[in-house]
Amino acid sequence: MTVGKITEVEFGVELPAFDPDTSMTNVRRFAKAANWMGPRFTDHEAARKEGLPGALVPGIMSQGFLAAMIHRWAPDAQIEVVDTVFRAPVIVDESYHITGVVTDVDEETGKVEIDLTVTNDAGETRVFGTATVRLPR
Amino acid sequence: MPSEQVISKPSRIATRQWGIEPMDADIAAAREKFLNVEFDTKTFDVTAENIVEYARACGEISPRYTDPKHPDFQAPPTFASSFIAGRHLPKDYPRFGGLGMDAGKAIAPQAPVRPGTITGKTHIHDIYTKTGRSGRMVFTVIRMELFDDSGTKVADADTRTVVRERPTP
Amino acid sequence: MILDLHTHSIKSDDGRAKVVNYCQWIRTKNLPIDGFVLTEHRQFDGESDYSTLARQFGITILKGSEVETEYGHVLVFNVTAPLVAEFDFARIDLSLVRVIEACEKHGAVAAPCHPGRKRVGMCAHIENLGVPKGVKIVEIYNGGSRGDEDDQARAMAEREGYLGIGGSDSHIVSHVGRCATRFPAPIGSEAELADALRAGNFEAITYRNQAVGD
Repeated sequence: MTVGKITEVEFGVELPAFDPDTSMTNVRRFAKAANWMGPRFTDHEAARKEGLPGALVPGIMSQGFLAAMIHRWAPDAQIEVVDTVFRAPVIVDESYHITGVVTDVDEETGKVEIDLTVTNDAGETRVFGTATVRLPR
Repeated sequence: MPSEQVISKPSRIATRQWGIEPMDADIAAAREKFLNVEFDTKTFDVTAENIVEYARACGEISPRYTDPKHPDFQAPPTFASSFIAGRHLPKDYPRFGGLGMDAGKAIAPQAPVRPGTITGKTHIHDIYTKTGRSGRMVFTVIRMELFDDSGTKVADADTRTVVRERPTP
Repeated sequence: MILDLHTHSIKSDDGRAKVVNYCQWIRTKNLPIDGFVLTEHRQFDGESDYSTLARQFGITILKGSEVETEYGHVLVFNVTAPLVAEFDFARIDLSLVRVIEACEKHGAVAAPCHPGRKRVGMCAHIENLGVPKGVKIVEIYNGGSRGDEDDQARAMAEREGYLGIGGSDSHIVSHVGRCATRFPAPIGSEAELADALRAGNFEAITYRNQAVGD
């Protein structure tokens, strides 16, 4: 179910859940397209040699996942800000869940604020952030 | 409810809330020298293929982002974040004796990014510390302002880096 | 009376939640908490007045602080002007023992938070620095805990005879109320909260992994 206008948005509503593709194949595809290549993102072994638990999903890819979730929910939403805090690494080939909930609605300006999180199977928050989006009135 | 728009908030709170601690001299000097001074200009070639691949990898399904023939074809709004790859500071910027870590990123899109050339102009937007006797954490907010071929601003992209200084023996 | 004893608003450098939205969230989601304490990082927010919001939503909103010591982060409840004059809240290298002493002198209560977390929690520092004097209460449920951090916190509390509190450590709106603390009687002010903590009759609760709110 998608929303179009600001008046359709209720405070507290959850955006449809979205499980991002964090497979190595997809991360490599992203890294190439975003010109964000580096062994710590595209090679588990190389990442472990750097002391990391495994190859990292780039923070900017998490941002991209979060934006995609917003677009799936509100295709006409204009994203004005995505602000992310990287709390713990997101590891390639592990499974994650992205959630979004509406935490502020301003019908006059058409602005909506959304809490965003990337959590793992244990329910731990790895990335959190907020987005401000504008919807048609 | 009214909303207060924040992209990388300034340092007002942490260190100066009570006016007890004067700003460290080296931080004051770095702010004086580097804040809001553009130190780098880069150009980026954006192709339709890059945009489609980026969008698909992120899970975008709207043809606006995945179909170059769409009349409003453009990059997803977070695309501009990818221009700020790597540690990106002025050559003579103080190192503060430690490794820089990425503490967060914010992107504020203002106009669509479409295939063509994007110009990124970078400045230091904020420098602040959390202070301790045994060492400091120095935060630097780097802002890249992005413009398209026509000179229209398409986004502000902020990176917050933090350096944890090693205590001096 | 159930209070979330550990929350951050946009007044904290990494906080992204507005206090009004916390209130809306608690009411819209029917969260089982009666209020929350704003424990902004390395400061006491003396300026903000949330009494109108508190009345409007019927929610208790109190203010505390989260300071940083050699043993990691520490929640401080019932911050007063004399306490603020005792040490510099902005520093990241305060002495835990001195913070506790200052709190006792001025009717405040200090409680190390997320003790099981690396670097910013107390458990790891005990190995190097020994058990600090004067700790009576620690946070045993923290909404931001990962892995076995809360287990480590509870184990330490049991070993050392500490009482346990709970707080969500929320930085965004939807994370408020993930953990909280239950008190037997109503609490209407920071001073009453400090009294209730000193009385020792409370219980840490967690709502994580339960279908409450979100």
